[in-house]
Amino acid sequence: MQYSTIFRYLFLGIFNGFVVYLVPLTIAFESWFLLIITTIITLLVNFTYATNRLKPLKWITPGMIFLLSFVVFPAAYSFYVSFTNWSTGHILTKQQAIERLEDLTYTKDDQRGIEFDLYVLQDQNLEYYFLADLDNENLLFGKAVEENEFNEINFANHEPSFKNPNGEILIPDNLYLLSGKEQIANSSQLQELSLLVDKNTRIQLYNISVFGASSGRLLSAQQKYSYSAETDTLYDNVNDLACTLGNRGNFICNGQTIDPGWRINVGTENYQRIVDDERFRGPLRIVTLWTFQFAFFAVFLTFFVGLLLSVSLNKDNLKFQKIYRSIYILPYAIPGFISILVFKGLFNPDFGLVNDWFSPLYELLNIEPINWFRTKESSRAAVLLVNTWLGFPYMFLITTGALQSIPKELLEAAKVDGATSRQSFWKITFPLLLVAISPLLIGAFAYNFNNFTLIFLLTSGGPPIVGADVAVGYTDILISFTYDLAIAGGRGYQFGLAASVTTIIFLIVLLISAISFRYSKRLERVYGNL
Amino acid sequence: MKTNKLRFIVFLLMFSMVAVACGGDAAEETSEAPETTEAPQETLAAPATTAPPPEKLVIWAEEKIAVALDPLVGAYESAAGVDIEVVIYDFGAIKNDVLTAGPAGEGPDLFVGPHDMVGEVVANGVVAPIDLGSISDDIFDVGIAGFSYGGDVYGFPYATEAIAMYYNADLIGGVPSTWEDVKAACDEAGTELCVGAPGGGGGGDAYHNHPFFASDGGYIFKFDGGFDPSDVGLDNASALASAEYLDSLVKNGTVASTDYGASMTAFQEGRSLFWMTGPWARNDAAAVNYGVGLIPTFNGNPATPFVGVRGMFVSAFSEKKVLAQSFILDFFATVEVQAAMYAEDPRLPATKSLFAVVEAEDPIAAAFADSASNGIPMPNIPEMGNVWGPVGDAMLIIRDQNYGTNEDTGVTVNSASDAMKLAAQQVRDAIAGG
Repeated sequence: MQYSTIFRYLFLGIFNGFVVYLVPLTIAFESWFLLIITTIITLLVNFTYATNRLKPLKWITPGMIFLLSFVVFPAAYSFYVSFTNWSTGHILTKQQAIERLEDLTYTKDDQRGIEFDLYVLQDQNLEYYFLADLDNENLLFGKAVEENEFNEINFANHEPSFKNPNGEILIPDNLYLLSGKEQIANSSQLQELSLLVDKNTRIQLYNISVFGASSGRLLSAQQKYSYSAETDTLYDNVNDLACTLGNRGNFICNGQTIDPGWRINVGTENYQRIVDDERFRGPLRIVTLWTFQFAFFAVFLTFFVGLLLSVSLNKDNLKFQKIYRSIYILPYAIPGFISILVFKGLFNPDFGLVNDWFSPLYELLNIEPINWFRTKESSRAAVLLVNTWLGFPYMFLITTGALQSIPKELLEAAKVDGATSRQSFWKITFPLLLVAISPLLIGAFAYNFNNFTLIFLLTSGGPPIVGADVAVGYTDILISFTYDLAIAGGRGYQFGLAASVTTIIFLIVLLISAISFRYSKRLERVYGNL
Repeated sequence: MKTNKLRFIVFLLMFSMVAVACGGDAAEETSEAPETTEAPQETLAAPATTAPPPEKLVIWAEEKIAVALDPLVGAYESAAGVDIEVVIYDFGAIKNDVLTAGPAGEGPDLFVGPHDMVGEVVANGVVAPIDLGSISDDIFDVGIAGFSYGGDVYGFPYATEAIAMYYNADLIGGVPSTWEDVKAACDEAGTELCVGAPGGGGGGDAYHNHPFFASDGGYIFKFDGGFDPSDVGLDNASALASAEYLDSLVKNGTVASTDYGASMTAFQEGRSLFWMTGPWARNDAAAVNYGVGLIPTFNGNPATPFVGVRGMFVSAFSEKKVLAQSFILDFFATVEVQAAMYAEDPRLPATKSLFAVVEAEDPIAAAFADSASNGIPMPNIPEMGNVWGPVGDAMLIIRDQNYGTNEDTGVTVNSASDAMKLAAQQVRDAIAGG
């Protein structure tokens, strides 16, 4: 038996041990989706690694698992969200929303803000009792009961005997007074208990004090709302009326929508809004156009600069070649977060270095200094410039690699045949280069199509498009526009609407990639046999 | 045969690992003591020795508040026998994560946030109302108003914040009370810029610009016990007149076209005489010898800055609401804790008792509080989400004098009034369109 086999079983043992630990947890938390996923992954892993029969799967399985959890699942989930009205006022499930509504209590106006000492007592059977010192006259005592025990038997009694003539509280011998600390240790139980005053009023513990006396408050004996599962209706106990079920995922009481609502399936409504709603259509057109322009120029400029540098450095007789190459990789080594923010400062029109450097030029041409980030053209130019700085080392790296893999004999043969260096570059080097790196260029395009970090950190989408009805700016690309839409597009958050835009972006990128890969395959067929 | 034997051993190993994993689980279970406590069996005097695991409260707060709070909670932890975890949270992320983590059962029990998110978190059902009881008498009205929504109070307001006017004390003795005098003072001092106010220079900012349109009768939403999203007053006669007045102030060079960063550096380098911003910038302003005064009046009316209130909320998804509430009422809201918080992280106190202490020892804080007393709380209704963008953009047009026709939308804005009308229309449309 080889070491690799031992490691394999060791890994499998650890993995299965972890699953055995996880499964009861998922059942306890009623997280059925996670349970299904765990089961599938466990079966897959065990089938793959327990025997030697499925060798090819060994390499595919981990990739499949990561693909499922980090690509397929988020995409599918966004797709699902895009068909719901998940937004402010509708972020809970129906069950959660009803629980929230049933949790709400109400106090009569004349009882609001009344505060009094409340003593928590316990008898031999560990049953809780509340003693409420309403005022000097009224001292109420009774069993602390849960909601399902709200009946007349448990009404509190007036018990002046708990107080001595000096106004001090006396606790009978058969009861134990809980200290603040002890009340806190049992607060999860105590918060469910009430002392019933009469049919309409109860007393609840509302402030457990470890430094003084705990206090209670008066509440209505009924909740603000009660829900009937049989009829699926809500009853407003304050105004004594039945509420109807609205069609947007909430209850409507007396003509008013009750918050919180819950999320429901709204079909293709979000997609229809994008297409039909004048408020989105105009900005969306500008943003989509710029997104394509940005992604194209971003790839083109970085590729151009990267290729220029790699070709000029790809000479065998060049001295210090490695040092030059290392220097050109540097921008790639600095985290984008830092360099983008640095550039933001450099481009500042008032005190940024860029305008300082350009000031002789401005004087020479006798023009106004450029108001970076404040006009459409200058902010778009700034975005592209910064992206070129951030992106060219990557292109430099991959083109250098590709150049070195092109067989030298081909170029020598061309030279022998009398081709100029320009001819041999355009006819031989460049096409071969494209075969090798066109998939990477497509990847770069897709990346820049969704280059949220750059836009968000550099311009946040600005400058704003005057007259547009939603928050949108000239440098906003689809993904940053979606972000604004999700966060500030209307009455709070609009996850459903934003998810539908995300789905559209996903489809666009998918389409572009499919077309480009087909094209690059054709390139390969043409040049691949050279 | 040999392979089979080895395989058998390996399977044994696998099962032992499974057993270890389960064992860990089982051990945890046994350590969990029964929920009931202190069985007062024969002797009622002393609680039994088997203590339950301490209750735990999780608090999310932005960095400065969390750092100030963390050392203080120890006193409560030992007195109450609870475990309190203060989590440093990014200020901007608290609302987002409370909205998503709460329903998923991962949220905090308590969190600190600005009052303008009250409407949204209430509409989403993620915060629980809190009965402040007798404590509410000690809190400034603006604090209670900020945290009130639909007749209930949804948090303990602990600090307020409003902008005022910093002045360079080496060049001038105070802030004049009218804008005309401000202009004259700047001309006399001969600084490059006069008033550096954020909200221009490409950076739209409805917050800092609020006094410019709302001091003389303009308003975003009508306030009458609560904010009314159907009554937008951005384009009423007073608001338009105020906007035109701002336009004249920009044209004559009183109010400079600066965003936040530019206004700050201008003030720090002595290139501007005044800086209009809030108490959070005191450390930045300290680059020069500074003082703080009220923002000049508009048409004889005091300037109305937006007042922001920070407060502590109880999550609706907390399993320990009474305990969480008790932490606020019994500990966090006490003057001692509030004073200790102030010592670590000075913000204008929202409680009268602490304010009295602070006023005596810190005249700058008192000046900011004075400015806040003229202000109005930022609307806390969810519809406010529709306002920041359009109003910030409209004020940006005026501040940067960026008039003209937009080639893409075909919208023409030729005056300050046009800008305000556009903003008002956009806000109304957005509210109507949801």
